[in-house]
Amino acid sequence: MKKGEILGIVGPSGSGKSTLLNLIGGMGRPSSGSVTVDGENLSDLGDAELTRFRLEKIGFIFQFYNLISTLNAAENVALPMAFANVQTEEREKRAKELLRVVGMEHRFDHLPNQMSGGEQQRVAVARALANNPPVILGDEPTGDLDSKSAKNLIELIRSLRREKKITFILVTHDPLVVEGCDRVYSIRDGKINKEFSQTDINHFKLSKKGDSMDELLL
Amino acid sequence: MAYRSLTRRKAGSILSISGIVVGVTMILVLLSLASGTSASTTNLLRTAVTAQITVTNSTTPTLGGFTPPKGAFTIGSGPFGGAPPTGSGNGFSFLNQSSGGSFATFFGGGNTIPQSDADAITGMKGVYAVSPELSTSGYVDNNSVLLYGIIPPSFTEATTGLDIVNGSMLTSGNQVVLNTVLAQNLGVVVGSNVTISYSSLNSTNTGTSYTVVGIYSAGSTFGPTSRTAYVELSNAQVISNKAGLVTEIDVKTTSPSLVHSVASGIQNSITGVTASTGSSVASEASLSSSLTIFFIVMGLVALLAAAFGVTNTMIMSVSERTREIGTLRAIGAQRRQVTMIFMSESFLIGAVGAVVGAFLGIVISLILPYFSSSVSSSGLFGGILNGRLSTSLVLSNILLCMALGIVVSVLAGIYPSLRASRMKPEEALRYA
Repeated sequence: MKKGEILGIVGPSGSGKSTLLNLIGGMGRPSSGSVTVDGENLSDLGDAELTRFRLEKIGFIFQFYNLISTLNAAENVALPMAFANVQTEEREKRAKELLRVVGMEHRFDHLPNQMSGGEQQRVAVARALANNPPVILGDEPTGDLDSKSAKNLIELIRSLRREKKITFILVTHDPLVVEGCDRVYSIRDGKINKEFSQTDINHFKLSKKGDSMDELLL
Repeated sequence: MAYRSLTRRKAGSILSISGIVVGVTMILVLLSLASGTSASTTNLLRTAVTAQITVTNSTTPTLGGFTPPKGAFTIGSGPFGGAPPTGSGNGFSFLNQSSGGSFATFFGGGNTIPQSDADAITGMKGVYAVSPELSTSGYVDNNSVLLYGIIPPSFTEATTGLDIVNGSMLTSGNQVVLNTVLAQNLGVVVGSNVTISYSSLNSTNTGTSYTVVGIYSAGSTFGPTSRTAYVELSNAQVISNKAGLVTEIDVKTTSPSLVHSVASGIQNSITGVTASTGSSVASEASLSSSLTIFFIVMGLVALLAAAFGVTNTMIMSVSERTREIGTLRAIGAQRRQVTMIFMSESFLIGAVGAVVGAFLGIVISLILPYFSSSVSSSGLFGGILNGRLSTSLVLSNILLCMALGIVVSVLAGIYPSLRASRMKPEEALRYA
């Protein structure tokens, strides 16, 4: 993978997309083989080291946002920095800055249940950015969003990739997400089935046929 | 984060805090009751129980602290007379005197100790009351009796006192209190005058006139103890010519638990005396301490219930927040950090519960005595408390209860916290 690339992973459910994502994200260890991310062989790491790896190298975006319900937007964003022992003042400053980056500066002290799905996912993106990770993983990041929010989120992801050179790996079913990717892998039965380049994606995008994406996903 | 999670999930927090509050309140009220009761019980026992230590001359045979006039103890006249006091009567009266003197010998009246020993004992730590007594043979209206010299207020404080059935206790001057049987035999009543002498009356020995001010019941109508008369110690010393001497010192301690240490203290610091303790001492001490233990056990049971409450709420909180814990682990929280979040949550529950519980406990302890009239005076409590609830608030008790509340809450949080930290992030995340 190249740095600052948006990689899509598509495939039917049960094909192993999420497992792949968990392996890359250091949340599980391979039963065989090895996973190397940013020069670190994850299969060699213990639980504490894997946790530190997740904290420093990986940002997560979940389908259901997974914000901590008792913390407001700024506190949620500051949380990974707290785990990394960043000073309180520095945390607050950076949390506000990141919320501004994702366009949520008006929601600093709102609790998750006071925000819409799209807003929550933006806060979640800000949280993923907290410790400046080189890689952000998304598991169906638009799975719970309406198309307008989904489009906005993809715009945000593309701008972050441009400006911060962050690598995104997004597991998705959503054609809108696929359209925003630089490269797409299709997975079936745990193996990479097909690789689609930007040209392929653009081709499907231009055809504008309702079933074009199905073709791509197969 | 723990603080936020408490303040923003009010219902759950209030429930677990209430558990600790109830536990801490209960244990504090029970402890206050226990110390209040043990204070009042000690007072009760002090007045109801006879002297716990009997100090006699170490050459005098003692009968396990048996204090002669208070029991029904029968004994015949012994063949050996007591040591004749210097300058006592004439040779003619020797025979009579010897038969009377034998009482005194057997009841510890034979060998004397200085009355000043009583002053030394009074100054000792843990001593509540000291009663110097002189027992001697004597005659009331020419009837051989056992004559007791006492200091009335000290005697009443240090022993159960005399069960006066008629008249009153000695105050001062030439007054005498007689046993009911003796009074009957002599045919005297309260207000009558009797003649008391050391030896039998004759032309040269006319005795001294005393006024009968009271008649007491010893409970027993048999034996020589029924032939007993009480006069003031100074009078008895004059009658028997034993100025500044006593045969026995009865000592009562401030607390039943101090009896043995006070007894050995007396024995060690005063030469030539034996300080013997009665068997009743142990039972008094155990009654008082078993009450305290009873209250403490009740309080601990309450706190244990609270501990289960906290564990339960914490476990529920953990399983409710499985996804949150998974998220925390995914975004980089170490196990240790997850444990800390949940432990601080249970610590906060404990701390808030302890403060509120201590406050409630103090309030209840303060107002409880005012409701005492509505408490029925039956059963164990009735007997001990005499229908009155007394509480005493001690700072150390309050702090102890607060500490217990916090410790229990933290302990109760350990298992749920560890469970939270052991969750695998990917599994925790999948959990909806």
